[in-house]
Amino acid sequence: MKKMLAILLAALMVLSLAACGGNKETQPETTKGAESQAETQAPETKEETQPAAAQGKVFRIYAWNEEFKGFFEKYYKVPEGVTVEWVLNPSDGGVYQQKLDEALLNQATAADDDKIDMFLAEADYIGKYVDSDYTMDVTSFGFQNAPTMYEYTIKAASDANGVCKGVSFQCCPAGVIYRKSIAKDVLGTDVPEEVQAKIDTWEKFDAVAAEAKAKGYYMTASFAETFRAFSNNCTMPWVDANNNLQFDPQITAWMDQTRSYIENGYTLTAGIWDAEKTNEMFKTGKTMCFFGPAWYYNFCMTNAQDPENGCVGDWCLVKGPQAYFWGGTWLLAATGSDNTEMLKDIFETFTVNADVLNKMVKDDNQYVNNTDVVKAFAEDASYGNTSILDGQNDIAIFYELAKDIKWENHTNYDQLLNEGLQNKLQEFYNGSVDEATAMLNFYNYIGEVYPEIAVPAK
Amino acid sequence: MKKQKPQTLGTHKSVSYAKWGYIFIIPFFVVYLVFTLAPQFLTIYNSFFENYRSGLKQIGPNFVGLENYKALFSADPSGTVRILKYAANTLILWVAGAVPQFVIALLLAIFFTSYRLNIKGQGFFKTVIYMPNLIMAAAFSMLFYTLFSRVGPIQALLEQWGVIDASFDFFSNRITVRSMIATMNFLMWFGNTTIVLMAGIMGIDQALFESATLDGANSVQVFFRVTMPLLMPIFVYCLITAMIGGIQMFDVPQVLTNGKGAPNEMSRTLVMYLNGYLTNKNYGMAGAISVIIFIITGILSAIVYKMLTKQYKEPQAQHRQRKGKVL
Repeated sequence: MKKMLAILLAALMVLSLAACGGNKETQPETTKGAESQAETQAPETKEETQPAAAQGKVFRIYAWNEEFKGFFEKYYKVPEGVTVEWVLNPSDGGVYQQKLDEALLNQATAADDDKIDMFLAEADYIGKYVDSDYTMDVTSFGFQNAPTMYEYTIKAASDANGVCKGVSFQCCPAGVIYRKSIAKDVLGTDVPEEVQAKIDTWEKFDAVAAEAKAKGYYMTASFAETFRAFSNNCTMPWVDANNNLQFDPQITAWMDQTRSYIENGYTLTAGIWDAEKTNEMFKTGKTMCFFGPAWYYNFCMTNAQDPENGCVGDWCLVKGPQAYFWGGTWLLAATGSDNTEMLKDIFETFTVNADVLNKMVKDDNQYVNNTDVVKAFAEDASYGNTSILDGQNDIAIFYELAKDIKWENHTNYDQLLNEGLQNKLQEFYNGSVDEATAMLNFYNYIGEVYPEIAVPAK
Repeated sequence: MKKQKPQTLGTHKSVSYAKWGYIFIIPFFVVYLVFTLAPQFLTIYNSFFENYRSGLKQIGPNFVGLENYKALFSADPSGTVRILKYAANTLILWVAGAVPQFVIALLLAIFFTSYRLNIKGQGFFKTVIYMPNLIMAAAFSMLFYTLFSRVGPIQALLEQWGVIDASFDFFSNRITVRSMIATMNFLMWFGNTTIVLMAGIMGIDQALFESATLDGANSVQVFFRVTMPLLMPIFVYCLITAMIGGIQMFDVPQVLTNGKGAPNEMSRTLVMYLNGYLTNKNYGMAGAISVIIFIITGILSAIVYKMLTKQYKEPQAQHRQRKGKVL
């Protein structure tokens, strides 16, 4: 009897442990990619490169999510004898930056196979790494920036002296992705040109929000949905030359807009990545507009692509009130890498290999960093995005938008300041605190994460 | 030969097994010195320096004396001293979880050890109440987060029943967030406390309970006059260890509120504050907070120890004195 009981309890325990084991993804995780790459088909045209004797056996990549890993495993054939190790840490709260910094500071003393070979960086903090000695000149291993790469992506990856340290595999012009059926109901039309004409300024956009509200819809599904449209048009950086925090008129404009949207019920209090927001992309969703670039389709709109509850084909893309870009993933070459041939190879695969890039546009709805490739799609009347849009040629729109992207007014602090401002203001928008307290909490937060920044005293 | 005999006798007498005792505890002390005591002193030392990282640049360490402490205890523009706010949060969260934890644990311990109730299947119950402790706090918090989130089942259920309206958010309400944290801590730790207290009660001579009952004491009297006084050392031990754990509360609120301590930092604990400074490896400020936590822990433990043991020590002491006088 006792034995039975013991076995039963042990089984229960194991079960409960297994149950929670499935629940939480342990981060950081290190996955070995070699086996899975062996199975994926490599593009036929890619030339075989064998590692020279001097090249390392382990290629270590730091990243914050699976997005690029997916493309890497799908399109890049790892040279024989090389193992790819991914170290993934979530970006939230600056965790990725912390872990990466730690590893980079130890880079000089790490064993060759433990050295980082390549790491990914986002627009919000790429400068921190580009302006350091922890990244190396791409020309040092024979990579040449192609003329087809977007100028701003090169500028972002270049230090103050113009030395380029990496490449971006995507270009991220962004627009408004709207639900056709809701637009039809609210505006009486779902034709992109006509919709665009009705929301091409913020005043018009706000007016449409009121109409949408009157019909029982939301204009946007997150208080921070329009944040990037404003913040990436800032005319001054977050901090001035003397490290004083400053609010760009665009940021205050976003705050004003959001305050009124919350008061009027035009938007939800959910954060930009919250399930409450992404649930609005189901067929049953009541939200008309989402703001995003090409990566938004697969990264944020999986609910819209749900075979049962989704609404593929009920979406169209327009420029919206203000052109902007959002995010982008740069691949940076880490100083001390012993796999420079592979680095060069990867950079070339994702910026100039037309075969791979064509597939990325067609199969993965990416907007790649190669003007020749995207131009061909933009001018191809037969191309249309059917995996989420209604067959509209979204590349043509992105192609126009991408022409205006400029790289300016960025600081190394952007990620945590953008994130902190949104997090603290969210408490004001959901009614927990008043606005003054929320701002005070934001200043206190800055004092903790960046003591060197001077915040406005009362 | 004759001389040798007393000599051997003498050495026999002075053979001391105590030295083996000391040898056996050396590893612990070495580990303690290297991994606990030395870092403790280093933390105190670090708290007097400006020492953090700005991006990939190291700032400091520059000696700044008590500046870090001054910064911690200076009020922000709204007049709040934040460390005091977080200390109060920590205390509230701990008390809210610890009171039910100890009440329930004591009750269960008494039920399980009572020869009158003689509960069957104790092994089963003991294991089950201990089980929440086996789940990682982070996983447990994620579970609660998922259950109570805006798109979670509880929100939907309560909305359907009309208990709350659609705009209600469990995570933007101070009371619900704190209750959730307290509940989780209670669920995770009451089993552990029950088992320790049971061990304590079982260590008490059964004859005392029986004789008290024979003398006509009811259960309440037995509990307050016999069980509690004799259980006091174990009880105080449990309380102090629980308190130390409570002051260091971190994982549950951190994961539940995604590090924000929402709403309005009302569920942000001292260690979450410390963790905030570690974003940029600010060893100076983080060290200063650690030292303050250390001092608070020391003071509170001393108070609890004094308060609870005094009450039960004094009658004994008086008793002995009286006895002495009679003798």
